[in-house]
Amino acid sequence: MSFSTFVTDKAGLQKLFEAIISKHETYAPVEKFGKYDYKKVSSLKECDPDSPIAMTMSVKPLFFPRSSKIMKYESNSAGTSVSETEDDHLAVPRVILGVKHCDARGLQVLEAVNKWDYIDSDFLKRRADTVIFSSRCDKADTHCFCTSLDYDVENLDAMDVALVNGSGGKIYVQARSEKGENFLKESLDQQSAVGSQQPAMDDIKKQYEAFAASFRLKMDYKDVNEKMSKRFNSPAFEEASRNCVSCNTCAFICPTCHCFKISDVKIKDTGVRYKSYDSCNNVYFTLEAGGHNPRPAKYRRWRQRSMHKFVFYKERFGVNLCVGCGHCAISCPVNISIFDVVNHVASSPLES
Amino acid sequence: MEALLVPSLAKVDRIIQETPDVRTYRLKFKDEVLMEKFTWEPGQFVEFSLLGSGECTFCISSSATRKGYFDCSIKKAGVVTADIHLNIEEGDEVGIRGPYGNWFPVEEIKGRNLLFVGGGIGLAPLRSLIQYCIDNRADYKDFTILYGARTSADLCYKEEIEEWKKNPNLKVVLTIDKPEETWKENVGVVPKILEEVVKPEIVNTKVITCGPPIMIKYTLQSLDRLGFAPKDVITTLEMKMQCGLGKCGRCNIGSTYICKDGPVFTYEQLKALPDEF
Amino acid sequence: MDYSNQIRDIAAKLFAEGKIDVFVGYRMSGFDDNQVPVVITDPKETSVLVFTEKSVFNLTNYLKADHTRNKKVGVVVKGCDSRSLNLLLTESQVKRDKLYIVGVACEGVVDDKGNKMQNCMECFIPDAVVFDEMLGKPQGKKDYIVNADITELATKGLIERGKYFEEIFENCIRCNACRHSCPLCYCAKCCIDQETSTLYNGTNTSSSAFHALMTWSLHLAGRCVDCRNCEKACPSHLPLHLLHKQNEKVIYENFQNHLAGVEEGDRGAFYKYSLKDPDDFIM
Repeated sequence: MSFSTFVTDKAGLQKLFEAIISKHETYAPVEKFGKYDYKKVSSLKECDPDSPIAMTMSVKPLFFPRSSKIMKYESNSAGTSVSETEDDHLAVPRVILGVKHCDARGLQVLEAVNKWDYIDSDFLKRRADTVIFSSRCDKADTHCFCTSLDYDVENLDAMDVALVNGSGGKIYVQARSEKGENFLKESLDQQSAVGSQQPAMDDIKKQYEAFAASFRLKMDYKDVNEKMSKRFNSPAFEEASRNCVSCNTCAFICPTCHCFKISDVKIKDTGVRYKSYDSCNNVYFTLEAGGHNPRPAKYRRWRQRSMHKFVFYKERFGVNLCVGCGHCAISCPVNISIFDVVNHVASSPLES
Repeated sequence: MEALLVPSLAKVDRIIQETPDVRTYRLKFKDEVLMEKFTWEPGQFVEFSLLGSGECTFCISSSATRKGYFDCSIKKAGVVTADIHLNIEEGDEVGIRGPYGNWFPVEEIKGRNLLFVGGGIGLAPLRSLIQYCIDNRADYKDFTILYGARTSADLCYKEEIEEWKKNPNLKVVLTIDKPEETWKENVGVVPKILEEVVKPEIVNTKVITCGPPIMIKYTLQSLDRLGFAPKDVITTLEMKMQCGLGKCGRCNIGSTYICKDGPVFTYEQLKALPDEF
Repeated sequence: MDYSNQIRDIAAKLFAEGKIDVFVGYRMSGFDDNQVPVVITDPKETSVLVFTEKSVFNLTNYLKADHTRNKKVGVVVKGCDSRSLNLLLTESQVKRDKLYIVGVACEGVVDDKGNKMQNCMECFIPDAVVFDEMLGKPQGKKDYIVNADITELATKGLIERGKYFEEIFENCIRCNACRHSCPLCYCAKCCIDQETSTLYNGTNTSSSAFHALMTWSLHLAGRCVDCRNCEKACPSHLPLHLLHKQNEKVIYENFQNHLAGVEEGDRGAFYKYSLKDPDDFIM
């Protein structure tokens, strides 16, 4: 099925955003302390759908929250009762503006594990209920390498509506999925929906070519997958992870990391059980009750992290657990980039 | 997914003090219909919640062929297990999720000789399979149980072992690490007794083993020396499992999730995993 | 301020003389003109070392046991870094005889945009206070100034300040980057990591963030040297210095002008006792 492409300009785009915000529950990047995070907005003035790449957090928490309640329990003389918690306020029809392409792709990558065996129906429902508008990425940032990771930017359907800068101030609004197509048909003012297909497609193609050429970082991921899988015992992991301070930032920021911990918080006879983000980089991640820890040293945890992303998840689900967004490098206290780590390992000598 | 993580409530019907630090909790779901329908294969595990304290992974140490209840044998090892030992009494309610994981290959071992090698609390997952095989005795050939612990007080399921000894269709070999005054049976670590006393038949035999890491390490070496093929040695792995659903990432080694692809593995499969446990 | 050549020479000499196993310094990031820490174990790598006004990170963070346990370490320290080093020494986290300290008489460092950092503009002790050798001309101590943001916040009413801090706590994602970047946070099991605690737990509600950040700042009170590792590490860009600078001001004004780590052997404010300590609250 081919989807429609509409053309507008900056003013038309603002009007479109305002119309969406006034009619739908909308999330967009909201600035605080210089960083942008996706929050619910009630006017365009509160947010910036064109927030800078390096300063924008991932949209992942809107689908997989940083912490969520699993259940409540209460013990009294009659016994114990367990109840599920409130309705999922994230699984409502909503629109998210200004989602970076890599971030949207991250949600697709996460679908693989969430559709496997035990289905994470909450995640899937939130995705199904959400219309994702992309941001207008036209130039790679310092740490970006999305194009190296199976990222077919011209056909990417991870977002429902793609926004692309064109020549001469034109902005293309391109549906990428049936959901996006239907949404646009309802939302677009007829006057801004103009433009025949072919000139638009040629302009967009030129735009993407310029985009692809703007990347500092490029990798051959198949080569990396293959080489890393043979280098489990390589000392290169220790070299590459020496600066790491074992905080949890990279995993929390990453659009694809999905490890979580379950913890109970109790007050006397009642309590709540939470599911919250966790990171395999954490010292306690594999710590067992008796005190044994299979991954006590930092390099082992880094090995697990990088191999899970570029070898194990790929083996299991057919896709790398990384979208090349570069946020780990940006947010890391010492700017360690997973790009550097995997390339360092992949290019290290094989043990004899 | 949150709904999948909500436990069902089960009442503690009986607590049996097996050793100074191991207790078996006999559990029955509060909901009788659920208890009636609940079934599992030997080797599977549940997530046991002491609500407010935490949730732990324990294998079900009894067989579903014995209906109306299921057992969890719990050793006091960390924060939550210490809380369980201290605070749970008969009649209390706990949360249970499961059963999860794969199970012992009961079909594949039919018609074979079975050698069970257990150490300490490691007999707990084996017991579910032993009971299953006893209840389906005709499906299996010779049956030997080699079980050892550090001291005679640390042997679990003492009463049940006496019953097994009385069963003419089973052979039971017990051992403890060091001599004790009233101990009349074998003395020596499990791998040593395996090689010197049990001297098992290799042909058409499957070995199922579980115990503390050090015992497993030397037992696998002994089994290797005796000539057992790695695919005929079956064990169950202990790693920090949490959600049981293959999502939280805790138990992930290589591309394996212990909670989904295990916890039962053959020695051949274990050898293929990265050395991280 | 450029001591890159001197530091390369010093590191190379220390390795050659077998005086160190590891050298902790700065290197260019490789992707822009900023610098990142580098932990060198191979003498051949000393050529990557640099030191300029972009050498921001407090390197004493790598002297914590999990990074360089039992090793002989060479490290570069500016004024503030050396004060946290004094505290690490007093608190028995590092041994003096296992360290070779290259002190710098710091002229201030700059942020990613090239602007001089606020803590440098307010710095009262730019010269390293503990060292085996000193690079640059010592400038001597300056007067202590109360942080400008604290002074400004003090003019606002309680409710307004409360709202401002509430926004800080709401935006905390509980990643713990701040604690892991702070040289003085070295507890093997941090109390804030108690997942079952009603106060802290693992959630990112503003309440748990409030308790976590406040407890953390109080554990650092009288010990924090304002190196801004925490603030630079924070992925949400929270102005964490506000918590620490307020504590520092209160301690300075009430506990005999105490400032953290100024002398060798210094203990944090709450590990010493003086008859002059305020006691007007005692009935």
